Amino acid sequence: MRRNLGLMLIIAALAFGALRQDSFGQSYSTSGSKTSAAASAPLRLSLPMKEGSVRFVVIGDTGTGGKEQYQVADLMTQYRQVYPFEFVLMMGDNLYKGEKAEDYKKKFEIPYQRLLDQKVKFYATLGNHDESNQRFYENFNMNGEEYYRFKKGNVAFYSLNSNYMDAKQLKWLEEQLSKDDSEWKIAFFHHPPYSSGGKHGSETELREVVEPLFLKYGVNVVFAGHEHFYERIKPQKGIYYFISGAGGKLRSGDVKRGSPLTEKAFDKDLSFMLIEIAKNELHFQVISRTGETVDSGVLMNQRKKSMAAAK
Amino acid sequence: MKRNTLLSAILSISAAVALCLAFSPALSTAIPAFAQNQGPQAGLSPGDKQVVATFEARVKEYVKLRESLEGKLPKLSQDATPEQIEKHKTTFQEIVRAARSGAKRGDIFTPEAAALIRATIKREFKGTDRQELRKTVLVEADTKAIPLRVNYPYPESEELLEMPPTLLLKLPQLPKQVKYRFVGRNMLLVDRENGLIIDYMLDAVP
Repeated sequence: MRRNLGLMLIIAALAFGALRQDSFGQSYSTSGSKTSAAASAPLRLSLPMKEGSVRFVVIGDTGTGGKEQYQVADLMTQYRQVYPFEFVLMMGDNLYKGEKAEDYKKKFEIPYQRLLDQKVKFYATLGNHDESNQRFYENFNMNGEEYYRFKKGNVAFYSLNSNYMDAKQLKWLEEQLSKDDSEWKIAFFHHPPYSSGGKHGSETELREVVEPLFLKYGVNVVFAGHEHFYERIKPQKGIYYFISGAGGKLRSGDVKRGSPLTEKAFDKDLSFMLIEIAKNELHFQVISRTGETVDSGVLMNQRKKSMAAAK
Repeated sequence: MKRNTLLSAILSISAAVALCLAFSPALSTAIPAFAQNQGPQAGLSPGDKQVVATFEARVKEYVKLRESLEGKLPKLSQDATPEQIEKHKTTFQEIVRAARSGAKRGDIFTPEAAALIRATIKREFKGTDRQELRKTVLVEADTKAIPLRVNYPYPESEELLEMPPTLLLKLPQLPKQVKYRFVGRNMLLVDRENGLIIDYMLDAVP
């Protein structure tokens, strides 16, 4: 009898622990994963969840296969229950230290398995730790190309290979952008054109060749990784720049304090971004490994904004 | 009458060409001037142009060989599994290494080509604004564990140093199958699929 009571108490405690409350008062259960989640804060969503919006996640520098990567992946999976994002942008360094078949499993397939099972698509870009052959990998959706474009709703995405920005790639980018009439144009690649990182900093050489094209053809937003922290850069020449490179690795305290580039930064823990694009608005929410919202806000489409101002 | 028709045809064609040029969205305006006017061939002497032509011909020769060898392998699809990717890479390495067993340093980076590339890099890294770039190439990436051996693979566990885009626009252009890579002060030619070091030159960075 006493033994049964003890067993019941354990089961009740486990069930209680698996149920959590979100900000809308809906309860949901955290599904079991190999690694216990680090998140302690309840899931809070600050995105508007508008009908017909484009919903995705941005992660970068993930492929360690370490406990922290799994914890972030677990939290992403939990968030999908309250924010059903359709796809994930990967900012490169998808597989650190080796690209054998088992590396793909340990550093990508296992941590994101539940998202893959839910048909969430991952769109990768190549980092300085990634081999070109990743472009053939079925789950990275690169169609065998080192740089490629895809479209979701009114948003065009350009995945670029910033390891090797040669004349061929620049020509391709200009050709694609020049005929693109999408309302939002988003570029993503590994090396950040602007950064307050102490170890790397801004990639000025890269910026010198890509930014003129972004400006000429109205690229709205740029996502990058490489720096193992989160940073929202103050708009540069009207373009919104983000760094989301702490999906698996952290360079704690690397953001230069007082940097004139920083609008908001977080370098105390790993993080990922939730993005929602609804008509002229881009909403973002940045979540730490422990479940804290470390940045959030809404940005207006620059072209629509300037048109409205001109009226 | 015939003459008038001919004249109006010429005028129409000229006008169309002028309009096309005026409104062409081609590469002419957005890409920085250095990329348009100071490309790999800009300002080269006829002798240097010949050196570049020889270098490019040797690279093409390699590409032709590796294409014919890869053609014998099962084609890697755009939605391959990790196992397929790994198998393709190792098999591809083996057959290229066997076919190029006699390859040695300098086959592609001939002394003349190496000297020209060295001079190009020196020019690019000149000036205070490029000091940071040089530092990045020499210091930032840890490439000590990469062996400098022709026909050996670039270790997949090692970092690939980003090639400075402004420099890439000035170096001889490569086909997509081959890439330049820095390892310390040295420059490599690496096959992008099988990862083999095709050739390398020493002291590329001043």
